[in-house]
Amino acid sequence: MNSEEKKWIEVGASDQIEVEDLIRFDHEGKTYCVYHLEDGYYATDGICTHEAVHLEEGLVMDDEIECPMHQGIFNIKTGKAMGPPVCIDLKTYQVKVEDNKIFIEI
Amino acid sequence: MTNNLDYQIIILGGGQSAAHAATTIRQYDSESSIAIVTNESYLPYERPPLSKKFLLNEVEIDEFLFFNEEHYKNLKIDILKNEEIKNVNFEKNLIESNNNKISYNKLLIATGCKNRTLNLENVDQKDLFYLRDINESTKIKNKFNSSENILIIGGGFIGLEIASSAKQLGKNVNVVELADNLMGRIVPKEISTIVRKKHEENGVDIHLRTNITSIKKNTDNYTIQLSNNASVICNMIIVGIGALPNVEIFDNTALKIDNGIITNQYNKTSIENVFAAGDVSNFYHPLYEENIRLESWKHAQNHGVSAGKNIVGQKTEYSEVPWMWSDQYNLNLQLTGRCDEYDSLVKRGKDENDGIIYFFMKNNQVFGACGVGIGGKIAKDIRIAGILSDKKIKVAESDLSDSSIKLNKLLKNI
Repeated sequence: MNSEEKKWIEVGASDQIEVEDLIRFDHEGKTYCVYHLEDGYYATDGICTHEAVHLEEGLVMDDEIECPMHQGIFNIKTGKAMGPPVCIDLKTYQVKVEDNKIFIEI
Repeated sequence: MTNNLDYQIIILGGGQSAAHAATTIRQYDSESSIAIVTNESYLPYERPPLSKKFLLNEVEIDEFLFFNEEHYKNLKIDILKNEEIKNVNFEKNLIESNNNKISYNKLLIATGCKNRTLNLENVDQKDLFYLRDINESTKIKNKFNSSENILIIGGGFIGLEIASSAKQLGKNVNVVELADNLMGRIVPKEISTIVRKKHEENGVDIHLRTNITSIKKNTDNYTIQLSNNASVICNMIIVGIGALPNVEIFDNTALKIDNGIITNQYNKTSIENVFAAGDVSNFYHPLYEENIRLESWKHAQNHGVSAGKNIVGQKTEYSEVPWMWSDQYNLNLQLTGRCDEYDSLVKRGKDENDGIIYFFMKNNQVFGACGVGIGGKIAKDIRIAGILSDKKIKVAESDLSDSSIKLNKLLKNI
């Protein structure tokens, strides 16, 4: 398997995401979503595994993100697909905050 | 030759509810034999692409199946295709089709809807085009190859989505609608006007408050006279005037039917061990305290899931807030809850670029909402409106109308 080494990439200031909200982050042709939940920051792939729709317009509630297109729901922390129409989990990424800046490991 | 088959659970109909019900049953019950019995020749497939991406030749059926062949095989779900049901005998738990006699212990009816048909002078029914299944969509697609001029009768969601696709294929399109507005009585006038203008900008001729006065059949087209004095030449006529539940095979049985199969909140019909789901079911909705029948994607899916659970004895009350969408050009229109009754209307957003939503208010609560926006603009707020209505949260109209207030804050008003 061709595994490239992961890198920490800066997303931006941590205060730009309100609690229970997300921002979209594009990097090297890929889209990610970075979330601010009650207990910290999280990151997942930015595209729904069901029909390739951007999750950025989706609703964040508790620990879940709901796709705006068909209301498929994923757990933000684990990426788990919670039921139809989604059945493939969302990929998740490590997040850290240093000096009020968010980094994700991709 | 007729075969005698025997299954513990039979699902009649091979659409979205059927696919999800069968899959759900298997999650709880690894033993019972299950079959989906359908008159179609395909595995259960998505219907939204039939008026859009499939018509535009952007996708093939393999790309919009709910689940592939492997899925049903792995879950030991048999799919009996091309089954024309002749008779259902509820006393004997027996279904008779053109091919088989199939007995069951438990039956789920998910036969969906059929097109409301229109009789037109000088036109054979077989020469009219309708859109409900993949065969009909394929027929329209094939006829598009030799048709430049299209007449669509009915300015509802189906007719308008076909108009949008036909226009994207470069056709000349006329839409004839009897009512004052597109998309029926429920969609607020401002929103239906935005949609009408979008069609007109794209070159579709919309004829509101208009009827067909006469049709003359020529060698390879029709000359159609409209009541607004317009005259239209077209190569094909597509009719989208609504749907009726598929229940005629149950005529003269004990099954209680009134605008669909009467079903309680647990998917149960009036007959023991017979359940119903999806478009065909007129079900008791606990939130509204009355029976409603829905024709929508999300409902077909989740009502099927609910039926699956109830069939295996996982008692599940179905009380989902209705939600549906329609995509036309780059516009996405969505409806949630109920927009048929209200004390007042509250508007949020100024135009389709921002997203514009009308909230239907009853007793200081959101009863329903309808919005339109470019792409996914309104999706989140419509979803929140659905949650507000489901949880019967009291909200101030001034909060709803103020676009600077994020609606998810109102969810904390519990």
